[in-house]
Amino acid sequence: MAFLKWGFWGVFWALVAAFFHYTLPQHDIARITDTYEKRIDFGENSIFWAAPDVGNATTASNRDVFFIQAVRNNGRVMVYRNEDTGWGWPPYFKFDTANLQAEAADLKSTSETPRWVSIKHYGWRNEFMSIYPNAVEVVAVSGPDARKGIPWLNISILIAFFAVVLGLWALWRRFRARRIDPVLEDIGESWDAAGDAVEERRGRIRRWLDTWKPKHKR
Amino acid sequence: MVALARLLVIGFIVLTVIYLSLSLYSRSVRRSKLEDWWEEEGRPGEREAYIAEGMKEYEGSLRRKLIWGVYIVPLAVVSAIIYFTNFH
Repeated sequence: MAFLKWGFWGVFWALVAAFFHYTLPQHDIARITDTYEKRIDFGENSIFWAAPDVGNATTASNRDVFFIQAVRNNGRVMVYRNEDTGWGWPPYFKFDTANLQAEAADLKSTSETPRWVSIKHYGWRNEFMSIYPNAVEVVAVSGPDARKGIPWLNISILIAFFAVVLGLWALWRRFRARRIDPVLEDIGESWDAAGDAVEERRGRIRRWLDTWKPKHKR
Repeated sequence: MVALARLLVIGFIVLTVIYLSLSLYSRSVRRSKLEDWWEEEGRPGEREAYIAEGMKEYEGSLRRKLIWGVYIVPLAVVSAIIYFTNFH
């Protein structure tokens, strides 16, 4: 039972952590190598794609999506998608997809003459599901060792979230101590009382039965 | 515009629920404080009248108006995000 309980909470908090890791913004220092667009037919991975550009039809089953190819400062490649999040989730309220694509294209560079940029993005790259992080902002930086800065926004969002969780937890504990524990104790007490009564009765019957046995077997 | 309408409607409903619960809670806190003050001040006059007067004062107080922040703060935050994401 304890195993189940810890397993449940472990899975729950892992999901919460994954949710925040996916949704909160992160910065990559990278070099943009190319930008392109590709027709995407959304399938099982459709939850990992955002919305069509705001104002366009939302019912189409496929559309062209902008992509930004990059090489990160650790030497590994990364491909970002560039999509409006519009008025939906996650609440980045990004409407300037086409402008961002233009900025990214302007910052393209080769490995001989690199121009480094900081790409603000959210989401994950996963090759097995063909999902891409969504680029939100591209800013030119001085070089591959440029500082990313302290993520104050993420810190404050997480602090606010855990403050709410702690508040709800305290409320629940107080509610349980006041309303549920006394009832459970009542049930436990009457259960014990019933058990005692049965025990006593059985003792009496046993004693009566024993009177029929020979003395050495009692 | 459907997405915007959905955001506005759902946001309005959620914020209204928060606003109503917060204002009811704040009102009940003020009322129980008034009850305590009435006791502390040596029970001046009628209890109900004392509380009614105190609540009337609360109606015009800054504290009650601050609860409108439930609507104003998210609106300001969303506007700021839109500005910084798209036009900065």
